[in-house]
Amino acid sequence: MRAYVAARLATALLVVLGVSAVSFVLTFLTGDPAEIMLPPGATAVQIAKFRAEWGFDDPLPVQYWRFLRRAVQGDFGISLRHGQSSLPLIAARLPATFQLTVTAMLLAIVLAVPLGVLAATHRGGTIDLFAMGVALFGQSVPNFWLAIMMILLFAVSWGVLPTSGRGGWAHVVMPAAAIAINLAALLTRLVRTAVIEVLAEDYVRTARSKGLRELFVLGRHAVPNALIPLVTVIGLQFGYILGGAVVIETIFTWPGVGLFTIQAILNRDYPVVQASVFILATAVVLINLVVDLLYVWLDPRVRLT
Amino acid sequence: MSARSALTLGVALAIAVLAVAPAGAAPAGEVKIGLAAEPNTFDPHLTVGRNTQIFIVNVYDGLTARDAQGNLVPALAESWKRLNPTTWQFVLRKGVKFHNGDDFNAESVKFTLDRATNPETKATISSELGTIASTEIVDPYTVNVITKTPDFLLPVRLGELFGLMLSPKHTNAVGKEAIATRPNGTGPFKLVSWTKNEQMVLEANESYWRGAPKVKKIIVRPILEDAARIAALQAGEVDLITPIPYARIAELKRNDKLVIKTVAAPRVFHVTIDVRKPPFDNVKVRQALNYGVDVNAIVKSLYFGYGTRLATVVDRGGLGYDPGVQPYPFDPTKAKALLAEAGFPNGFETEFDSFTGSIADHAKPAEAIVGYLQKIGVKAKQNVFEFAAFGPRRVQNKTAPLFIYSIGDAYLEPSWVIRWLTQGGLGMHYKNPKLDEMLTRIEATDDRAKRAPQYSDVQKLIKDEAPFIFLFQADAVFGMSTRIDYAPRPDETQWLYPLGLRG
Repeated sequence: MRAYVAARLATALLVVLGVSAVSFVLTFLTGDPAEIMLPPGATAVQIAKFRAEWGFDDPLPVQYWRFLRRAVQGDFGISLRHGQSSLPLIAARLPATFQLTVTAMLLAIVLAVPLGVLAATHRGGTIDLFAMGVALFGQSVPNFWLAIMMILLFAVSWGVLPTSGRGGWAHVVMPAAAIAINLAALLTRLVRTAVIEVLAEDYVRTARSKGLRELFVLGRHAVPNALIPLVTVIGLQFGYILGGAVVIETIFTWPGVGLFTIQAILNRDYPVVQASVFILATAVVLINLVVDLLYVWLDPRVRLT
Repeated sequence: MSARSALTLGVALAIAVLAVAPAGAAPAGEVKIGLAAEPNTFDPHLTVGRNTQIFIVNVYDGLTARDAQGNLVPALAESWKRLNPTTWQFVLRKGVKFHNGDDFNAESVKFTLDRATNPETKATISSELGTIASTEIVDPYTVNVITKTPDFLLPVRLGELFGLMLSPKHTNAVGKEAIATRPNGTGPFKLVSWTKNEQMVLEANESYWRGAPKVKKIIVRPILEDAARIAALQAGEVDLITPIPYARIAELKRNDKLVIKTVAAPRVFHVTIDVRKPPFDNVKVRQALNYGVDVNAIVKSLYFGYGTRLATVVDRGGLGYDPGVQPYPFDPTKAKALLAEAGFPNGFETEFDSFTGSIADHAKPAEAIVGYLQKIGVKAKQNVFEFAAFGPRRVQNKTAPLFIYSIGDAYLEPSWVIRWLTQGGLGMHYKNPKLDEMLTRIEATDDRAKRAPQYSDVQKLIKDEAPFIFLFQADAVFGMSTRIDYAPRPDETQWLYPLGLRG
């Protein structure tokens, strides 16, 4: 177990390093921020002077080495735009993103599990049709479109929710729902399939033949076993959720990492982009590791070797 | 009426009169504003992008300022004059205090300008203050600013965009990083709190030297998404928003709870023609391009009419803008005839650079222009770049013979715009000794009133020479609730001092 975790952590480190190297090269290829940072009237000479001052005219390997040497000490450089150290700037925005993504995930689970189970137990019936219709809609609707439609309906027409920003819990409802919808749809289908499969298992037949009530069969035998694969999927989906958060945070001006990263990309604030890529990659890798360990705990049949 | 009651009445009347006078009215109420972007910093020397420069002036003051019409007016300097070609003298306003109570004086000016020009500051605005050599204190309320070369624009430079004054004591005390969020200016509002990406709270500076502002508290929220920003205005969460996409204006104007105001922004769109490369060295070809593009139609369809067709690269708010210089009419027949005269009866092939991802949309107008050029036989291949990738292309002078661009006339001074557009770098290579001479003469004229009429000949010359395809300036759009009273300024500055509540 300990050796497994150590090996996984080592791979995680390599993944994070690889991701930041790729993102460094990509940002380098898109050009430097000189023109965006200087006033519009800057001349060619002034732009050249600025680039030299900030080291943007050094060759790529030199810049990457400088970046790496600092990054291993947790220093991603001073934000070009905010004049403050990038890593703390990003870290300060983690709680907002955490609040949003966890709420979205819980919302998706709370919606998907009952819907999926009902669909499975009423296979081919009206409830199943309805659940699959909802899932189809949820998987195909673009979340940014849904976000704007929700704003128009709930905030402008009915005035029951705030249009954007972060404040009380009312603020989190629409952005979380917009992120949750795709995941909820995916999970509903998954729960339905898993429950249908489990219901055909021998132990379920045995439980039923013992004369147990159907609700007990479902609750004690079928659903818990069906939900195990769900954990893996949720873990894997976390990366997508973060990706969705980038778009949704921007639409709702939710002050999280996603919004901050988008602004940094648009402003070519490369130190912040690098720090953010590092933090997001680390988060995804760690969560996947936790999910794998959780899986062992949930399903004793799985052994780590 | 007894003498006593008459006296009482008189006193009461006098008090009533005083109460409605602006200086006597205490600030009241709260206004919420939704902006597409918030400032990057309140350090006036490290501002990035116009969104910052047009906003932080609410906390500071420059030596000069602009009035609602865009005229240059005194601010922290009461008067200024050029002593010799490279020395400007500013006489400062007395009795002005920073928010923390520090006195504003000549020392503040010297400290601020020394800081701005010190290479260690790595000032992002150094290109705008690059002519300053040194600042000398003459007496506590008089300073001389010495420039390396004659700079007729210095009083404008030291205005609301790049001449915001810092308090030496406070700036040294809080340090370089903290000044970004803890400004101490002399301006009409104090920054009370600022959580980036969430909200900023401004409070009236009741002892402001122009008199206290009308509104007590202003909350600024960044709302990035156009649809969400408009929704926030419609839902009554905010009272004022900008910008608004042109496509939404008509719908919002129908809402009687809202007021939509537009003002021509000083951003001049144009297509730069590389006059060094044949056939563009031929003026007839360049004029043909101007006759061949229906700019009015572009303004009507892409900007829903919220733009102004320009005859040259001088914007309507620019000093000496001459409405008598008429734009090239849209005349494809004439364009073809000119091309034939120049030896291209069947047109020619060329390339046209455009880009996405900058402050304004350049790709769509470019597409329309390329379409029009096609019709007169100029087969231009359109390249679309990401803005950050287009930048190095300009710096290395690798731009196509035609490229679209826009320049914000920050100083409302045509000479500044034209000098930039003819700098001989960044893909702009038009040179004309006659134009140069005219501009030099204008730049030696300190009196704006005398400078203005001289620009007429400049505009005529540029129009005839056609080193650009002249396009338009687009409007800035503001949406507001009927409970507030606000007039947007023509130079884009988001000056909140005159903002008031109705009723």
